[in-house]
Amino acid sequence: MDRKELENKVIELVAVSYNRDASELSTETNFKEELKGASVQMVALVAEIENELDATITLQDAAACTTIGDLVNLVEEEM
Amino acid sequence: MSVLDEIYAKAKANPQKVAFPEATNEKMMQAAYETGRDGYIIPVLLGDDQLPKLAEERGYDPSVFTFVDINDEAYRKGIIDKYVAMPDTRLKEKALNRRMADPLYYAMAMQKAGEVGVTFAGIDNTTGDVLLAAQMMIGMKPGISTISSIGLCDIPGFKGSEGSLLAIGDSAVCTNPDSEQLADIAISACETVRDLLDWEPRCAMVCYSTLGSGQGELIDKVTAALKIAQEKRPDLAIDGEFQFDAAISPEVAAKKVKRESKVAGKANVIIWPDLNVGNVGVKLIQQFGHADAYGPMLQGFNSVVCDCSRGAPVSEIKGNIIISAVRAAKMNQN
Repeated sequence: MDRKELENKVIELVAVSYNRDASELSTETNFKEELKGASVQMVALVAEIENELDATITLQDAAACTTIGDLVNLVEEEM
Repeated sequence: MSVLDEIYAKAKANPQKVAFPEATNEKMMQAAYETGRDGYIIPVLLGDDQLPKLAEERGYDPSVFTFVDINDEAYRKGIIDKYVAMPDTRLKEKALNRRMADPLYYAMAMQKAGEVGVTFAGIDNTTGDVLLAAQMMIGMKPGISTISSIGLCDIPGFKGSEGSLLAIGDSAVCTNPDSEQLADIAISACETVRDLLDWEPRCAMVCYSTLGSGQGELIDKVTAALKIAQEKRPDLAIDGEFQFDAAISPEVAAKKVKRESKVAGKANVIIWPDLNVGNVGVKLIQQFGHADAYGPMLQGFNSVVCDCSRGAPVSEIKGNIIISAVRAAKMNQN
């Protein structure tokens, strides 16, 4: 999977977990300011990443990501 | 009969299976053994195939325990099949299999699959570890998105609506809840006391104002939370905003609350506005009121998870195991 495919896949998983339309999201989307999710949504996202991308990341690391792009970097390191 | 005696009697009447993922820990094994031997619970110890030998070496009768070898492929497969077939689980087979290498996640997978009623941990794992695992494996109660806790205080000389007892929350988990989270804490607290103590909850949301006597953003948060809680659960008696004395004292309530209220003056559940108040509040009750405080009891999850303090003595661990088992028995009935 190349970088662009991974970005699209992570955006798709963020959209599912946060109940958003993927077209509203980009790698620049800020979790705290724009998505404003509860921790349960981040848990759902970590589980989706684990299921779909075979990458185990911790919730603490995921929660420390400012943007979706940061999360893509984290997933890329774990794959 | 004291409140703890009543809870102990309930546990004995319907002992629940409790999973111990930190079973090799000496204090945990002792607490599991003694509560199992005395008939309060059925202890299920998770570990490798050396666990029965370890129990015997420590002088425990192994017949008290059910042992689960987390490396037993056939048993693990059975749990995974049950777990992934459930509609509200998050992890798929491969990811679950990987997570279940950790006994904490294994225990919670067993709990979700209905093999045990409670997971009891926290002596080797941190509170954060336990809460994260529970969010992922067990999930939150429908309509609730906040993990919180309540404590049960037994205050000598206090003559409240439940005698010397008062439930308070959250004094341990949720640091600075917003209105939505505060509403969740109140709703969960009502359900916890109903499950554990068979009380009809009367829940007061407290701050430094009674029905508009004060103004400011700290009060606005509480009144907004109250509105959310009442809209979400009109079946529960949740009222406010009250000062603490107006919540628990009929005399003060008669002066300050000039409208009908099922809660004012006779609250049996107090919801603090944030953890600063909650922590100071429980310490005041303990120091000046010479109260015993039981808990924290975690709430908000789909089933009962207990996180004990890492410094807890065996006697306290046993009390919390039994309280968790009674909550689980009630939740399983519902």
